[in-house]
Amino acid sequence: MDFPSSLPPSLFMTGPLGLSDVPDVSFMCSWRDALTLPESPPQASENGAPHLAKGLLWEPDTPGPLPLLPPGPDPWDPGLTARDLLFRGGYHFRRQPRAVLDVTEQLSQFLWDHGDIAFAPLGKLMLENFKLEGAQALYFLIHFCPWAYLSYRQRRFSILGGPVLATSLARLLGELLHEELAARWEQLLLDDAFTGGALAWVPGRMPGAGQLVYPAGGALDRLSRGPDFQKVSLTPGSEPRVLGDPGHIQLRGPVRQVVTRTVQGEGKAHRHLRPLLTDLLPDHNPDLLCPSALLAVRSDYHCALWKVGKPGQPAPLQVLQVEKGATGISLSPHLPGELTVCSRSGAVCLWNPQDGPSPPHGWPVSPRLRQVYKDPETLVFRDPSPWRWADFTAHPRVLTVGDRTGVKLVDTQGPPGCGLLLFRGGAEASCQKGERVLLTQYLGDCSPESLQPTFHLVCTQFSLYLVDERLPLVPLLKWNHGLSSTPVVAQLLPPPRPGCPRPLLLAGQAGELQLLHITGEGASTPRLAGPPQSLPSRSNSLSAFPLLEPKSQWRLQERLSAPTIGLAATVLPSASTPVLSLFQLSAAGDVFHQRLHLQADPRPDSPAPTASWTPRATSRCSRWLKTLLEVPLTPPMWAAPTFSHRRLLGSFESREVEGKVPEGLRTAMAEGRLLQHRDLGLLPTREQPPAPEPGPEDELSERLEAAWEGQVAAWWERRQGGSSGPGKQPKRHKRRTQLSSTFSSLSGRLDLSDATSPPRSPDRTVPEARPQPPVTPPSQELTQGPWAEGIPSERQQTLRDYMAELPLQGDTPGGASAPSSQTSSIRGTSSRQQTLRDCTVKLQLRGDTAGGASMPSSQTSSVRATLSRQQAAILSGSQPLRKKPRMGF
Amino acid sequence: MSDFSEELVRPTTEDEQGETCVLSGTGMCFPWLQKHIETVATGGKREKDFAQTTSACLSFIQEALLKHQWQQAAEYMHSYLQILEDSDSNKRQGAPEIIWRLGSEILYYHPKSSLETFNTFADRMKNIGVMNYLKISLQHALYLLHHGLLEDANRNLSQAETWRYGEKSSSKEVLINLIQAYKGLLQYYTWSKKKMELSQLDEDDYAYNTASQNMLNHSWKTSINLCALIQIPGVWDPFVKSYVEMLEFYGDQDGAREVLTNYAYDEKFPSNPNAHIYLYGFLKRERAPREKLISVLKLSIEKNMILHRKKEEHHKLGLEVLFGVLDFAGCTKNITAWKYLAKYLRQTLMGSHLAWVQEEWNSRKNWWPRFHFSYFWAKSDWKDDKTLACEKALVAGILLGKGCRYFRYVKKQDHQVLQKKIKQMKKSVKKYSIVNPGL
Repeated sequence: MDFPSSLPPSLFMTGPLGLSDVPDVSFMCSWRDALTLPESPPQASENGAPHLAKGLLWEPDTPGPLPLLPPGPDPWDPGLTARDLLFRGGYHFRRQPRAVLDVTEQLSQFLWDHGDIAFAPLGKLMLENFKLEGAQALYFLIHFCPWAYLSYRQRRFSILGGPVLATSLARLLGELLHEELAARWEQLLLDDAFTGGALAWVPGRMPGAGQLVYPAGGALDRLSRGPDFQKVSLTPGSEPRVLGDPGHIQLRGPVRQVVTRTVQGEGKAHRHLRPLLTDLLPDHNPDLLCPSALLAVRSDYHCALWKVGKPGQPAPLQVLQVEKGATGISLSPHLPGELTVCSRSGAVCLWNPQDGPSPPHGWPVSPRLRQVYKDPETLVFRDPSPWRWADFTAHPRVLTVGDRTGVKLVDTQGPPGCGLLLFRGGAEASCQKGERVLLTQYLGDCSPESLQPTFHLVCTQFSLYLVDERLPLVPLLKWNHGLSSTPVVAQLLPPPRPGCPRPLLLAGQAGELQLLHITGEGASTPRLAGPPQSLPSRSNSLSAFPLLEPKSQWRLQERLSAPTIGLAATVLPSASTPVLSLFQLSAAGDVFHQRLHLQADPRPDSPAPTASWTPRATSRCSRWLKTLLEVPLTPPMWAAPTFSHRRLLGSFESREVEGKVPEGLRTAMAEGRLLQHRDLGLLPTREQPPAPEPGPEDELSERLEAAWEGQVAAWWERRQGGSSGPGKQPKRHKRRTQLSSTFSSLSGRLDLSDATSPPRSPDRTVPEARPQPPVTPPSQELTQGPWAEGIPSERQQTLRDYMAELPLQGDTPGGASAPSSQTSSIRGTSSRQQTLRDCTVKLQLRGDTAGGASMPSSQTSSVRATLSRQQAAILSGSQPLRKKPRMGF
Repeated sequence: MSDFSEELVRPTTEDEQGETCVLSGTGMCFPWLQKHIETVATGGKREKDFAQTTSACLSFIQEALLKHQWQQAAEYMHSYLQILEDSDSNKRQGAPEIIWRLGSEILYYHPKSSLETFNTFADRMKNIGVMNYLKISLQHALYLLHHGLLEDANRNLSQAETWRYGEKSSSKEVLINLIQAYKGLLQYYTWSKKKMELSQLDEDDYAYNTASQNMLNHSWKTSINLCALIQIPGVWDPFVKSYVEMLEFYGDQDGAREVLTNYAYDEKFPSNPNAHIYLYGFLKRERAPREKLISVLKLSIEKNMILHRKKEEHHKLGLEVLFGVLDFAGCTKNITAWKYLAKYLRQTLMGSHLAWVQEEWNSRKNWWPRFHFSYFWAKSDWKDDKTLACEKALVAGILLGKGCRYFRYVKKQDHQVLQKKIKQMKKSVKKYSIVNPGL
């Protein structure tokens, strides 16, 4: 453990972040780092080539990583994006753009969709304060309804209670909503749950074999989850072979971090411990397994330790519950089985699950825990983040404790809280304003012969620092990584060849991968050997997949750009060129693999040969894609109840129909189609060309329809099979005839018991690209149907109240107002389907009261315009009210 | 570049940062926030076309650099130079630094770049946006230095040293100090070369006098150059080393001691182990008393060797140091330390100072067995280094008793050469082990 005899010169300045006066001369670009001063006076060399490996390059075998395992059977939802949270309109370009959380659009949509959810609880809450006579009446009044203006009573109440309710609503909802949105936004900007990575490689006895350990099972926030034990065999010359089915352990929480370490000690099996968890599948290939490894897993509120022993069956050792939430776990490189666990409360504990005897029966519940550090405050300056991290150092009794502001060395044997800062977010490391520590790691865990065991890596959103614990506060190396997302995992690998620099991998959450070459043998300072390089990310693999229809293509693209949550790499030493095997885990649960080889003959003059896809690779991708497209899409979390008023139309059907004009109009309205001249009894100005009537053999429309449904592959197979299955077209015909018969047979009875349609069934996941008019069930079913059960009784009552007002419309003076005002009201609400339906009702009534007076032509045209706009909106697939609510309240 | 004065208006740092990152409510800066915002913004005024193009160009260059496509990066760079004509004065002022940073990187690695190209580029960049003159000069000099062109580097530094522009600022001051110090270092190289030549000359030679006179001149200039920088807090190992060497050569022991003491003990400086090593080396050369040497050395085996030569009262400190050294993961295979520890333990226990050993051992007994004396280590040490295994086994036996796994494993091994040693080890363990099996 020699200390470098001469350190590179650097200025040392104490102060806060972003002290701009510090000339940052020491670290400017990657080559500058190679220019540490020569020990002895440099000899004037003729060629002037500095001792820098210029051609150090890892070349990828394929342009992008390939899927290693078929996609899981569970659907994956990419979750919230910036689009869902940020304000859309009124964006002003500024030098420092500000993110404004969007509530207007989302909230109005939400209130519109879920009025009962939004307002009924408020009414119930407030009811207790209304100790007036006749509180029963108020009960119904308080239930706001988006259509409250229809009721006088409710309108009066609105006027009365508006100012009060509006403020209390704004205060109540506003605060909660803002809190929730802000938390989501923070999480979107910086998600520290997966810091450290959830993918681990457990090397086997043979150099090319090992196991991958990672959480599987689709969306990672679901409850049942298990780290898989996937055995993989690697050979330098070919793609990795996946052996057998992975074993898995079902856990009760999402896995956030997986750490492994080979134990070089006594292989004492813990047979007296019986597995607490279910589904422990035995492994069958003992010969390929590692000698013995420890496996530490961090979940949100639990940490657990397993031992992967000789037979390959992981034996659970202990589980630890972290009440405030665990943020980091690391395994000691020195003492087998010793761990550090960090909690959001600011505590760091040393955990020794293997110390002493365990209780004879059951799962040991009292782990050997020792709190070695606790400080709810951050180290250097105040930062609100509760994120903490702890790792080991070259001294087994000294730990590093890190938070967003710095990293401290803490002696676990000394008095509590003592220690000295190893890294300080400040002028010492010439940090920028707003710079925070996002990742810290002890790098001295493997093969100490090539790099000192005293180095620590500190990553911020801008830079990467290498710190020696013997020289605290002064980074020996700083490099601007330029990642466009949070750095999640870093891994230092052993040198591919003796004397070669060690590769250091850095993965960003957005899938970016960077590889740095770090050298610093013996007593020389660590520095970058050669320029850093970027490695292909998962989205670079898009070209290996066959071209798809836009919807599936988008799904694939989304899947490939899922956040990276794990990285594992291993170097396979081979005779000719060392091979780097790289595994990536995405938040969608996909494991991708990439092979790189060290450029054999670095010739800087020749352009780097570009890798291309092999037929094997593309066929593998196609197979993967096929499985992926078979996975159903995520069912919506909760479907909004939709209110259908169509059934109510039947009540007016009994009235005498006069003339062709209303009839034609009504048919056009009922069918939701374009109002045509002939419907109004007017002479067509010119003959319309006959619309292509899609027959049962219309292949194109069938295919398009299948494509919209995402079932084009199935359609193609059906076609190939020669049997054209039951197409959509005849079915729709049938449905339409059914509809019209429903209308003709409807009686004048007004039954409001089930005025709402049932919530959309969750299994009907494919959103209707061409929405059909709500299907009206036959009149026989218009009684209290089974699907009316889900509707709260008070809700039904409200609807009854409000519908009861409707027939009055015709008698009110407003109802018989001038046609021009009516027209304008129609025009004003063209986009609101619901309102339009109400208007339809009104129109109907008006027609009756006016005694069959023909419609003025101006009004007709406006109606037509409204209808055509409506239809156009439907055809273009944008139906604002049916949009799936994206905020999961 | 017509409006020269406008260029010198110092851009506000806040604006510069606004280009790449945005602060959030927590005070944290997210370089990727802009990207998020851009996915949403649909209306309103957008960034100018040219600004969008330049930022795209910049990302192309960075991408090409990370893919080691130097040729391509150079082509993009050629286009990027247009940013110097940007009408946005903030951008225009920040541009030279970016161009220098990326451009020098490209030229450093580009297969077809030559020294001349680099020199031309550096000279141009020094004068575009004069704010970077000093920084670029310094880096240019370092580039030349590494290519073995000491004279060119020296000329470059001399030019930079005399450059003055605008108000004095502390950052400029530091940069000028750095430039002078590097110049001083170059002069030191010449000086040490001359010193070497001088040592080969005869003292009576006529040439000797001239040469020594020459050296003296050099050293005087050099010390002027070096001493300013090393007053400023920082890590200045190469400068301090050469400065002290020159001071010592001319017999200024007090000056050298002062420099080194200041470097090691000034609280404004970072705690640099080398500072203590240099001071220790100096004191050793000066034949300073042992007590002083011990106080300077913090934790090293050498300290132990000094202690070893001393009397019994130092044994306690020696034990402490040895235990301390062997705590570190990087020292587990240090045979010297183990040898001394075994020797010390034996001597201390012979002198019936069991308490000293207990004191050190108590804090370690719950982890040293797993850390040093596991079965795995016994096997691996025996395989790699049998002498080390023997020393460790002796220590293990003394500290943990005969039943210790490490000791048992080594004891069982049948080795012709080491047979005598193992026998001796067994005897020592039996005699001195601090673990009494009878109790």
